[in-house]
Amino acid sequence: MTTAQTVLAAGGAVSTGEAVTFWILAPLALLGAIGMVWARNAVHSALWLVLTMLCLGVFYVLQAGPFIGMVQIIVYTGAIMMLFLFVLMLVGRDSSDSLIETLRGQRVAAVALGLGFAALIGTGLFRALEGTSAVGLDAANANGNVQGIAKLLFTKYVFAFEVTSALLITAAVGAMVLAHVERRKGERLSQVEQMKARFAPGNYPGPKPGPGVFATSSSVATPGRLPDGTLTDGVHSQILPTRELTSSEAAPKGTEK
Amino acid sequence: MTFLAQSPTLQDFGHDVWWLVLLKVVGVFAMLLLLTLFTINYERKVVARMAQRPGPNQVGPNGWLQSLTDGLKLPFKEEIIPLTADKVVYFLAPVISAVCAFTAFSVIPFGPMVSIFGERTPLQLTDTSVAVLLVLACGGMAIYGIVLAGWASGSTYPLLGGLRSSAQMISYEVAMGLSFVAVFMTAGTMSTSEIVRAQANGNPVNLLGLEFTAPGWYAVLLLPSFIIYAISAVGETNRAPFDLPEAESELVGGFHTEYSSFKFAMFFLAEYINMITVSAVCTTLFLGGWRAPWPISAINDGMFNQGWWPMLWFFAKVLVLLFGFIWLRATLPRLRYDQFMRFGWKVLIPVNLVWILALAGIKTLQNKATDDGTRYTIIGALILAVLLITLLWPSRTPAPAPNLEEQLARRPKGSYPVPPLDLQVPPSPRTRRDVAERQPAMAGGGAATDETGPANSDEKEV
Amino acid sequence: MSLSAWVPIVGLLVLGALFSLFSVAIAPIVGPKRYNRAKLEAYECGIEPTPQPIGGGRFPIKFYLTAMLFIIFDIEVIFLYPWAVSFNALGLFGFVEMLLFIGTVFIAYAYVWRRGGLDWD
Repeated sequence: MTTAQTVLAAGGAVSTGEAVTFWILAPLALLGAIGMVWARNAVHSALWLVLTMLCLGVFYVLQAGPFIGMVQIIVYTGAIMMLFLFVLMLVGRDSSDSLIETLRGQRVAAVALGLGFAALIGTGLFRALEGTSAVGLDAANANGNVQGIAKLLFTKYVFAFEVTSALLITAAVGAMVLAHVERRKGERLSQVEQMKARFAPGNYPGPKPGPGVFATSSSVATPGRLPDGTLTDGVHSQILPTRELTSSEAAPKGTEK
Repeated sequence: MTFLAQSPTLQDFGHDVWWLVLLKVVGVFAMLLLLTLFTINYERKVVARMAQRPGPNQVGPNGWLQSLTDGLKLPFKEEIIPLTADKVVYFLAPVISAVCAFTAFSVIPFGPMVSIFGERTPLQLTDTSVAVLLVLACGGMAIYGIVLAGWASGSTYPLLGGLRSSAQMISYEVAMGLSFVAVFMTAGTMSTSEIVRAQANGNPVNLLGLEFTAPGWYAVLLLPSFIIYAISAVGETNRAPFDLPEAESELVGGFHTEYSSFKFAMFFLAEYINMITVSAVCTTLFLGGWRAPWPISAINDGMFNQGWWPMLWFFAKVLVLLFGFIWLRATLPRLRYDQFMRFGWKVLIPVNLVWILALAGIKTLQNKATDDGTRYTIIGALILAVLLITLLWPSRTPAPAPNLEEQLARRPKGSYPVPPLDLQVPPSPRTRRDVAERQPAMAGGGAATDETGPANSDEKEV
Repeated sequence: MSLSAWVPIVGLLVLGALFSLFSVAIAPIVGPKRYNRAKLEAYECGIEPTPQPIGGGRFPIKFYLTAMLFIIFDIEVIFLYPWAVSFNALGLFGFVEMLLFIGTVFIAYAYVWRRGGLDWD
């Protein structure tokens, strides 16, 4: 039996619950995809895509692949869409699509290329799967879904699994090259170094004393003194003008008895 | 009802009649709400006791209705939405937070098979073969609530809070996910009810000819995983000392600064439910789940592990873990952000990976299928690797730190005056005279050196 | 295991969603409204708020790096799970291949550490 025949044979055996879930979530997934394209705000666009990804995760569970369903939610919606969100937030919240085409014929080319790519993938998949007989879900999940995946992944497809780690290295290196701002040692002080510099000899660690704290006069105009007695500038705000009091201001207010 | 005394397997789930499912769903939901109300009061009372205060004691018996009245008050408060907010996302964020928090609790086992209105059913909402992954998935989705809340508010403090929080949660989610691996490896399953069952029996250990039964709890068996889980759980729930997203002194309220009324209550609810969930997951995965602790479990042929009793042990364990959360909050100051991220990435993750590999190595050695030749090869390779690492480890000789006198000598003129560095306060002249009078024998050389000491501060200009 | 075991999860999710949507939607109706223009401004401890959050609501690029590292380790963890569950069945072969895998990912980790990608300032 070919895949297509198995799928057709199983088609009659879809339970009502499965059908109901599908007919609720499939429009939602489509809505998410359309919303992703239509949304003007980039973050809204990403959120629509999250909706589609979540629906896909549930579809996997529905098709007796609970592990891959959970992985879809954890890795795609949890990690990769979070990266998308971060990237969108990198460009700021108010940036939206530019409606002017900078490349002429861009849309037509995009549609044509997209359709071509879909056709390419479709035929590739069809040719690869043609003649492969499906064993059915019960046989595949006989020892449990996770165990079945482990058995295939770590024996038959072990090379692909090991190559994945090389892919992860590439991702790490790529991220570092793109996003890491290299700083030579000492170029920017760390918190510890800042604290050391603050308490280093010759630097005054505390806040500057308020005007008059160590001064002999309480006038704002009097320069402040450090605890060791030396005069210092900058004890009062630059905004405050240094001025003499007028005679009326200096005169007794009559409030003191 | 001793015939019910069996722990459920995966086959026991998914057979409940519809009204039982409904009953369980509503039961878990109500329990989460009640437990949240309780935990808020519990936290306030415990923290108060630790700070020598009575805590809330006015509303209801002993103040236990305080959180309920606070919660009921919130919807009747004015809701303020800043003009800069992105309305739809602003509305959605608290809902995402709360929904994820609720959903994660659906796979927590409370007890064995019981009989509810004549129906035989496990005391657990449901279980699947990937139950623990569901908890992780909900944790991953909950980050959206916080990031979006921070972003949608259109204000500086929430944005910074959301930003910190998301980076913190994704960092600690890795550590948390890694700490599950050892549990899965030992239990051979990802289903919560089967993990509890795997911890039921202790395994006999023969240590130096001494036969004894090691406890089945994974907290004992897999201690490093347990410790890492406990730490990352605190980081994942944004609780003190890792509550950087809402560091009041820096960020006001963090991601929920702009939220008010019931939207704020949703975040509050989600935070407490998350705390309860991580405690419940910790109980399930590491503390033997709903099974009674050892001396009690042996009474009367396991009587206390049957029927509805396990609910008691489950909640007792959860409350003890919650107490740990509160204790941490009352004791520890907040970490600095770079320290916190460094700890997550540079300590928890590598330690966890090494521990997983070590455990896998031990298990491979213990495996009966491994023959002696391979066994010795592995041990030899391991020793060789350790030797190579110790030999090739780049050794660094730090420059000798200058001592106090040298540092003092380097100070330029006019430096800020410091107290005497040997911490000997010079005795006042009068005391010195008293001593000299009382002990004439000592007055000679000793006093002469004393007089050259500091005490020149009087000569400073005033 | 049948799909019916997933129904209660959906049930709890729907109940939670209904509860939170209802209460979030009802609060503005129940609560009082006292309009004041100052209330609608972004909160910045009482000072005149900046018209936009710092940098127009942008994230520093550092967070991109963290998210990328998170993806790498998340994928590693996901691969570890099925391996851990059927560890006993895979035996020595499984151990060696996971040793290789973790070792390779560790190279990436060591590289990022060495370049200072894990440092915060």
